[in-house]
Amino acid sequence: MALLDLIKEDVVKVPLESVTKTDVIRELVDVLVKHGKIQDADKACDAIMKRESLGSTGLEKGIAVPHAKTDQVKSLTLAMGVSPKGVDFQAVDGQPSKLFFLMLAAPDQSGPHLEALAEIARVTRSETFCRLLCSATSAREVVGLFQED
Amino acid sequence: MENLIKKLLVYVDGSEESVTAAQYAICLARISGAELTALYVVNTRAAEELVKANIFLKSEEEEYTRDIEADAERYLNHVKNMGIEKGVTVVTKKKRGTPFLEIKAEVSEQKPDILVLGELSKIRSRRDESYNEAERAMRNVSCSVLIVKDDERVWDLYDSLTP
Repeated sequence: MALLDLIKEDVVKVPLESVTKTDVIRELVDVLVKHGKIQDADKACDAIMKRESLGSTGLEKGIAVPHAKTDQVKSLTLAMGVSPKGVDFQAVDGQPSKLFFLMLAAPDQSGPHLEALAEIARVTRSETFCRLLCSATSAREVVGLFQED
Repeated sequence: MENLIKKLLVYVDGSEESVTAAQYAICLARISGAELTALYVVNTRAAEELVKANIFLKSEEEEYTRDIEADAERYLNHVKNMGIEKGVTVVTKKKRGTPFLEIKAEVSEQKPDILVLGELSKIRSRRDESYNEAERAMRNVSCSVLIVKDDERVWDLYDSLTP
């Protein structure tokens, strides 16, 4: 499944309001709950926090990719958020994270999960593209950038 | 006239489209008497990229690769059984690496008359074109390529084959 199939306006939040790691995860999970993608926000947050406890998914240059396998979803599910001010996500370079790709996959969907994560890795290699995403002011703009890329 | 199709190779990646391609390949093998091989490539490159990008821990790479290896076995067995149902022997092969490169290598080695692929997803960005493995295989292999479309028609065709 292409990343573009997952990034829809209703699962993109710009700007994120949270200022802590836990709250950002909760805010993005709530986006998924609001749009009927998952039922139990607590269980989804727990799965992500459990993965984060093994090592932060805060990458370099302001990108974070919190992810987990959970039976809370039947298919690959993504929420994306932009925090212009940045949030301390315990990133590897110590810099605040601004772009968040939160991904949940069903336990039996390792293949699609891996491919979607790999696509995020490739997309975020472009500093220009990430800069454009960070400066986006609406979900529509974010989706548009992915469509143009 | 000598049989034009002696060897078929079908690429299976677990998608519905690739299973449809396998059904069509079984039909073709049955009608032509060609040898049929089904290939699944465990995409180890993607997992390696994720570790390199710090998105995956080493333990996740191992876990996901294990899961995908199991998927590969499941899908290849499924295709093998579909062949048995229709009296066609399907040789299955599992490889590891970058899918399009492994498909290309397999084509060079086996020299099939036709590589059968499932319907390609729509290209909506340059990224899709650059990274869709089936698309890249189609463009890079040295043999003719058959892209299978219209799953309902293929299902009817497959269903109509007597065992």
